[in-house]
Amino acid sequence: MRLNMAWKSWISNECGKHLLLLLWLAVNVWLFWKTFILYYSGPQYYYLHRMLGLGLCISRASASVLNLNCSLVLLPVCRTLLAFLRGSQKVASRKARRLLDKSKTFHAACGVTVCIFSDPTAAVSAGVSQMLVLEKESAPRRVVHVAAHMVNILNFSARYSEDFPSLNVAHYKGEDPRLIIFTTVPGVTGILMVLILFLMFTASSYSIRVSNYDIFWYTHNLFIVFYILLLLHVAGGALKYQSNVEAHRPGCFSPNKTLQVRRLKPEPLPESHLERSHEDFLKPQPHVEDNFGNVCKEEPHFKSHFPETWLWVSGPLCLYCAERLYRYFRNSRPVTIVSVTSLPCDVIEVRMVKKDFKARPGQYIVLQCPSISTFESHPFTLTVEYLIQLSTGLEILAVCFIRKRNIQCPTEKRTTFGVHLRVLGDWTKQFKELLLSKSTPDSEILPIVQQRRYPTLYIDGPFGSPSEEVFNYEVSLCVAGGIGVTPFASVLHTLLDEWRHFKLRRLYLIWVCREIQSFYWFADLLCALHQKLWQENRPDYLNIKLYLSRTDGIQNLIGDRYRALNSRLIIGRPRWKLLFEEISKCNRQKNVGVFCCGPKKISKTLHKLSNSTSSSGTTFEYNKESFS
Amino acid sequence: MGQIEWAMWANEQALATGLILLTGGIVGVAGQFKDWQFAAYGIAAGVFICLLEYPRGKRKNKGTSIERMGQRYLTICVKAFGPLTRNYFVRAGLHAVLSIPGGFMLPTVLGCVCVAIASLIYLLAAIRGEQWEPIMPQVESKQRPGESMKEPPSNPPPRLPAELRRKRQEDAAYVNPIPISVNSV
Repeated sequence: MRLNMAWKSWISNECGKHLLLLLWLAVNVWLFWKTFILYYSGPQYYYLHRMLGLGLCISRASASVLNLNCSLVLLPVCRTLLAFLRGSQKVASRKARRLLDKSKTFHAACGVTVCIFSDPTAAVSAGVSQMLVLEKESAPRRVVHVAAHMVNILNFSARYSEDFPSLNVAHYKGEDPRLIIFTTVPGVTGILMVLILFLMFTASSYSIRVSNYDIFWYTHNLFIVFYILLLLHVAGGALKYQSNVEAHRPGCFSPNKTLQVRRLKPEPLPESHLERSHEDFLKPQPHVEDNFGNVCKEEPHFKSHFPETWLWVSGPLCLYCAERLYRYFRNSRPVTIVSVTSLPCDVIEVRMVKKDFKARPGQYIVLQCPSISTFESHPFTLTVEYLIQLSTGLEILAVCFIRKRNIQCPTEKRTTFGVHLRVLGDWTKQFKELLLSKSTPDSEILPIVQQRRYPTLYIDGPFGSPSEEVFNYEVSLCVAGGIGVTPFASVLHTLLDEWRHFKLRRLYLIWVCREIQSFYWFADLLCALHQKLWQENRPDYLNIKLYLSRTDGIQNLIGDRYRALNSRLIIGRPRWKLLFEEISKCNRQKNVGVFCCGPKKISKTLHKLSNSTSSSGTTFEYNKESFS
Repeated sequence: MGQIEWAMWANEQALATGLILLTGGIVGVAGQFKDWQFAAYGIAAGVFICLLEYPRGKRKNKGTSIERMGQRYLTICVKAFGPLTRNYFVRAGLHAVLSIPGGFMLPTVLGCVCVAIASLIYLLAAIRGEQWEPIMPQVESKQRPGESMKEPPSNPPPRLPAELRRKRQEDAAYVNPIPISVNSV
């Protein structure tokens, strides 16, 4: 019974993404195999194969895998498209939407595959050719055939074919392979592409992303150059296929050219074979079974391939470009900052308005402030979003007079949304200084026309995140560490407006903070929601547990109105196993959604606990926010 | 742009390049080509660069430095060379010199170009005054706060002396018909 439960938890958590991974691997392997076989035994590649050997097949097969992955790697970064898919709940089921959480991982997997399949091709070279220049006949036996475009290049040099001059890329026999690389279009573009991949790959490691995100971002933007080079690389037309296979069967008997054709056999012949009689030599080779004996009707004609890569890559590339254009036009108008509030523990809340802005709770936006930095942009989760409507001009005036802070009065139907920023790095520090330092001297009533000069701010988004799914489970467990409570704050705001028509029936909120002051960020919101639910006779809907992990200092929220929170405040770190057991006992046979936005350690513990069994038949589905 | 630590990126590049040189060298030697001595050099240079670059330096500005697995022993070795390994100008020069022989043979050409790029980034890091600081193991000094369920108290709570605990007759709202002894609470 326990084994069943263990399987059930694991399957509901891990199955989808592992299946997808397996599918992707299978497609790659199938593509590799199919292309390999095509070049190995396809009649139109017969002469090319004899010239270049096994290196041709391996390099073309890896090129087809590269085609697939270069096109797939663009899809997970179309963030607007993903946000749209998340929002369209009729289109995809919840399980499919959970797979969207892993889009970054998929992008990384495709990227690594591109690097793996292109680096060895360039990094491994065959002095094959150098050896072949010296020992023409016996070389194939000893050579290490490694997947390499360079193998081909070097073979082009060594096995320069006098019989079929149009197949050649080298200009003469024994041409220095380095010269071939640096003077042909495919060669130069190939080398540049590998260098760009090298730069992108080394800048994408986890430690670089955590410490210097800029390096990662700027090198990753070289992908534009990479794709341009890729499109040029395949336009060179270096590899050709035979276009008149019917008229000129490969390996057919051509009376004029018998001797040279026989000399160019690619497969290593065992020594004994040479001693055999002349008849054995005339025996048909496996891949030219019944062709030998035919007389050639005409000379073979060779044609360059249509660049297949253009077909593969153009679709996702157009999609990505379209999305970037759409985002550019959508974000060209700056937002208007309405208010800035300074909160304890280095947090500021910024509220803004923008026309036609629509967001769902749990989504995030990316802020960009040109006065601080032209290229840097930072993601922040939306904490509040509401539609405000002020009907008459008089009301607007009244509001402006009563409030002490200056606000730019919004017009009829604008969405006000806000973010909570934690001041941690230099961008946020400068942003805080720009926003808060321009305070005018205090006065009771401020005239309406005096406007605080806030810096221009552009936003990109909103983009989806796993926290949007909180409403789609009957029971949800939300675990937040410090400032990680922001996605759940927007959820709570939405519940404050209207909680009845969601599928959600019970919400557990676990908020772990280091300092007591941090709870003041959303203490009012929590108390208001708690109060409302008690009034409307649903006391079990919201279960709050606040944990204070630092044991010295003040240990209470000061203020009578925070009594509900003080009674739910626990000193010390949460004991997750006990919490999970308690939740599963109270929610038997239910599917509980676990949402975590916090430090990695907590996230790992929760993931492990979600995968393990529970005695009451409750399954925990784990959804993780990722911000790196 | 803020405070970019170029040395970190140069370190990742150099490590990757070491592997590329190593691979190229192995292929060059295994195929027994004409200039196989350069390929053998590629192997040696690749191994050397990998060992030199494996220990990650400490981050200058802020935050925790992430160690690579098992880098502690190599850190001690690299630290022993003192200013030779600490200074990034020296490293940049070293990489530039190491890259030159790789260019003579095709298997190692890519490694040569990549080492040259890493050398340039190290030069940039050195110009900006960065240095290699070893990550030494820290003593676990901070006390983790305990978990939320505490042990039940082992001592009874402190109480006032018995005379003061006794309720005074005049304060009582209700007078008992049966007198209560001193020791009853």
